Amino acid sequence: MQLGFLVDLHLCMGCKGCEIACKVENEVPLSTWRLRVKYVDVGTFPDTKRTFTPLRCNHCQNAPCERICPVSALHYLDNGIVNIDKERCIGCAGCVMACPYGAIYIDPQTQTADKCTYCAHRIASSMMPACVVACPVQANIFGDLDDPTSNISKYIQVNQGNVQVRKPEKGTNPHHFYVNGGNVSLNPLASKRVDGHSLFGKITTLPVGGHH
Amino acid sequence: MAAHEILAATNAVVTLDVALPGTVWPWLVTVNMWAKSIGTGVIFMLFLLLRKHPQSAKDLRFSTTVVSLIFIHIFLLFTLADLHQPFRMWHIFFHPHWTSAITVGAWMATLFVGLLFLLAFLSSIKKDNVAFDKALTWVVLLAIPVTLYTAGLMAQCTARELWQMPTESAQMIFAALLSGSAFMLLLGGSKLQGDAQRTLGTVLGLSALMSFILYMAEYIFGPMKAEEVAAVLEYIKGDGPYTVMFWLGQWIAYLLPMALILMYRATQKESLLKLAAILALAGLWLVKHVWLMIPQLLPMS
Repeated sequence: MQLGFLVDLHLCMGCKGCEIACKVENEVPLSTWRLRVKYVDVGTFPDTKRTFTPLRCNHCQNAPCERICPVSALHYLDNGIVNIDKERCIGCAGCVMACPYGAIYIDPQTQTADKCTYCAHRIASSMMPACVVACPVQANIFGDLDDPTSNISKYIQVNQGNVQVRKPEKGTNPHHFYVNGGNVSLNPLASKRVDGHSLFGKITTLPVGGHH
Repeated sequence: MAAHEILAATNAVVTLDVALPGTVWPWLVTVNMWAKSIGTGVIFMLFLLLRKHPQSAKDLRFSTTVVSLIFIHIFLLFTLADLHQPFRMWHIFFHPHWTSAITVGAWMATLFVGLLFLLAFLSSIKKDNVAFDKALTWVVLLAIPVTLYTAGLMAQCTARELWQMPTESAQMIFAALLSGSAFMLLLGGSKLQGDAQRTLGTVLGLSALMSFILYMAEYIFGPMKAEEVAAVLEYIKGDGPYTVMFWLGQWIAYLLPMALILMYRATQKESLLKLAAILALAGLWLVKHVWLMIPQLLPMS
């Protein structure tokens, strides 16, 4: 079994329901996110459009976070999920530095690394991840990539040529795919980022916690 | 396509996202690298002096070992202080994950400390210089990977393209040679004869030159290869947030010491060497800090 995620960016409308569902399900502390939706505005008025990109851990086959973790707190499960053992984590933040997707953070309450686990605890009980359940337009598609009859495998088949991963050049082999994505939505260097001037916030830098 | 061309073509602006994470590896890690360079560098220099200038180095065995022990312990202390869960450090020894440079480094550093204590014992209590010199060879061999492992760690940070293993490992070795020779010039003082001073000055000057060449090579040619490197180096160009610190570091760590060593070779004034050594040690901290910080400023998502 190889679990994977796919987001159809053409369907996503940026409601952030997945973001909130994840926060509630996993009790993610304030100022941290396991999953978030990034808005990028493209073009010049009046020819503009807004793109929405849900961003979470990519559960890479060749995960840099797993490789750099000195104590195997980050480890692979048999179903392909890159899981984290917070009791073992020493908080060196090597994984935060190694992840090319900015998907790992230091939990300010436990002072350990944390990230999306594809809701491994729900999957163990045969439930879908919280973000999948919450999505009103079924933009989040989750399932077994090894099973050709699963929804995700069929979706990838139907959309062949239009399926992308983030930063493929890093050789991480992510198990998280995007359909109808583009350079602007998937490449952080393709859009200008003026921190402190986003629509709803003036916070420029998130605290890492502890002594930093 | 360069980042600025994409930006101009799409006029794309992030309008809603979480704020960027703060600095993950702060100045504590800079001190870690700086102290490790000195701790291993003085061992390299003691080995060199004992072979080339044994008369000058014969009374430096114990003091150099103590200096190395002090700086390796500073390195270990700041490594521990940087952990968010420092009391779980023992997990590295009981749950080691050998693909991680952190694990390999921690084990090697521990062994290195043990061997340094052995050197201290041989030089101060047993007073056996023959045994000391034999053990020193093994300590030098271990000091090489101890000083290099941070380059491996930085290389394992897949997200940070600026940190490439070949250049970082060369920088780590040159940093150890630079700081080791600088510290030995200060430590040796009047015990060092003129030829030993000249040797240390040459090592200092050449390692400063090589380090400077590497940084300039990255600065000029790095952006031609990778979009991310180009974006990161913008932080030390123009009115970038680390431009001033970067150039201060280059001048204080490399350019001024090189000039002072050339002047020393012409005038034989010992004070010039000492000034070069102090500048190199101070500037190395700045250089290391800038190179540690700038890749962390780039948004990953």
